[in-house]
Amino acid sequence: MSYKDQLKQLFPSIIYDEETDLEEYVFINPKEIVEISKSLKSLHFNLILEFGIENFKNQKGITLIYVFEKADYRKLLIIQSKINNNAESIAQIYPTAVLYEREMQDGFGIEFNHSFDTRKLFLHEYYPEGFHPLKKSFTNAHLKLKGKVSPSEDYFFKKINGEGVYEISVGPIHAGIIAPGHFRFNVIGETILNLEIRHFWKHRGIEKSAENKTPEEGVVFAESICGDETIANTLAYCIAIEKISGIKVSKRAEHLRVLCAEMERIYSLLGDIAGMIVDVAYPMGASQFFNLREEILRWNERLTGSRFCKGMLIIGGVSKDVNSKTLDELEEYLNYFYSQFTSSFLKILENASVLDRFETTGIIKESLVKPLNLTGPLARASGVNKDERICHPYAKTYEQIMNPNKILNQGDVLSRFRIKANTIKNSANIILRIIKNMPKGEMSVNYDIKDGCSFSIVESSRGQNIMFINIKNKKIDRFKVRTASFCNWYAIEHAVMGNIVPDFPLINKSLNLSYEGNDL
Amino acid sequence: MNNLPSQIIAPKAKKNRDDEELKRLHLELKRSISSVFGRSIALREVDTGSDGSPEIELVNLTNPYYDIEQYGITFVASPRHADVLIVTGPVTCNMITPLRKAYEATPSPKWVIALGDDACGSGIFKDSYAVIGSVDKVIPVDVKIPGDPPTPIEIIKGLLKLIRKIGKEGY
Repeated sequence: MSYKDQLKQLFPSIIYDEETDLEEYVFINPKEIVEISKSLKSLHFNLILEFGIENFKNQKGITLIYVFEKADYRKLLIIQSKINNNAESIAQIYPTAVLYEREMQDGFGIEFNHSFDTRKLFLHEYYPEGFHPLKKSFTNAHLKLKGKVSPSEDYFFKKINGEGVYEISVGPIHAGIIAPGHFRFNVIGETILNLEIRHFWKHRGIEKSAENKTPEEGVVFAESICGDETIANTLAYCIAIEKISGIKVSKRAEHLRVLCAEMERIYSLLGDIAGMIVDVAYPMGASQFFNLREEILRWNERLTGSRFCKGMLIIGGVSKDVNSKTLDELEEYLNYFYSQFTSSFLKILENASVLDRFETTGIIKESLVKPLNLTGPLARASGVNKDERICHPYAKTYEQIMNPNKILNQGDVLSRFRIKANTIKNSANIILRIIKNMPKGEMSVNYDIKDGCSFSIVESSRGQNIMFINIKNKKIDRFKVRTASFCNWYAIEHAVMGNIVPDFPLINKSLNLSYEGNDL
Repeated sequence: MNNLPSQIIAPKAKKNRDDEELKRLHLELKRSISSVFGRSIALREVDTGSDGSPEIELVNLTNPYYDIEQYGITFVASPRHADVLIVTGPVTCNMITPLRKAYEATPSPKWVIALGDDACGSGIFKDSYAVIGSVDKVIPVDVKIPGDPPTPIEIIKGLLKLIRKIGKEGY
């Protein structure tokens, strides 16, 4: 018996909707969402996304969509609930829901009853009152912002009182070449008692900006979500559009897509590894990895014409082919890369002062992974085997050539360092196998855009990215993306507790989450 | 696969076509920074809503390939230590106030570089509700370096343009 049948037995009011190879859609009565969430939790389903959409499937008003995932079940359970500007919060059952609900409160003006946090999320103080950008009644244009903000409108941070407790506030602009974000520490002596993060300084309005664009125009918005997840997000976008319109990509194009995705994973994670070594004051060790990263970026330019592979992926395939001579040279380079990387990595692990800083620092417990929906290398360093390339294989290529991932249980900075190194080696192996088995075929296929909606899930360098696209009248009607960073950011509030303030940059770098992918 | 002979005798990293140009740019940097700024110039980066790739390229400027620090360019931790602000991104509504504060905190004489298409005003978000549109709508800009994102070589050329401009106009 499928899970939706089990639910139907418990809640007879559930109405079945369409079913695809990734999704099972059902409609529910909005009053029952809390009870349904409780049953799903007891069935070990996890909430991975919650968002709103206006005038969905010709129903006037707002529909809430909840996306549930289960570890050993390949399909997503999609629950649709039609509401009137007011809904019951499920944050008591699934803690991550509070973020999605705050997001919808800003975007659509929906009120959530019994929510434990109703502060604004991505619209900061200077936005006018009663402004909700995702409503269809608002046409995207520049706003008249508030001139002044009174102290009563300031964002509220948790206050901790007591003898010797003091506050450190950091940001939004940090001391480094890095994106803006605000961190509020409560510290006693040198030990961190509590950390609260406030983001969305970089909120650019991607979701609204992509609306009413043709699917082809939408590609650049997917590329701009996050610089070092360009291919991951564009791949998710193309897969969703191709699913809606029934476009079949050639085998060669799929192999080239995966090749770029793995190149991106390598340079992105190399940056993390180098950054972690810099943060323990060992720049000489880091420069080996910076060198390799630069070489990979140059290879990207050679393969795709852009150091970040921008413009490579298009709907229906890829925009450039790679000739066999270049592939042979890439193979030769990657063999060199593999041996260089392995020897540099082993040298770092021989260094006692590095290990001293890495070990037992910034522990993320395994028990946090599911409630916070943590994914990617950081989940694999905390004992959970989560990799969308295996859980939801979005390219046939991965099913054939993936090596099993390494899993570690300690959840500290050292584990994340090792897991990221292992992921890089795995990616290099994947590319080498792709080059060996590169099939012949056309770069892209002709297609017609059809109306409809679809989800897609990919594994970016930081974990699970999920995207939803609804096409209406051959234009984008709703573009919803949730990157891994949106959930993973909250791991840091737990990881730093009990650590000393000087270890915060190291812990932050070991997670290396994206600000732009979170803020959108 | 580690034991194959081809991996033990690793091929040398390929010489890049940029190398000659880079050598020339490095020399020029050193010469112009010495004559205009008396040996060194301090940069402070402010991200106001880029997609993150300009930051990656700025970090890359300090890697062993480009290594601009040895020619007298440093990235500093605070605007109070900076000669030049490098601003990336279309300036989101949430970042207008922090950007103004950073500019006011930078001691005079000071200069501003807008880096990337978004910051220059030609990016895809220029009409979004959540942004102002370009850096020069908030603070005065001296040099624009367009690109999505500009490559390290283009950034070095942009820096040279600014230094030459200051050399000509004085401060």
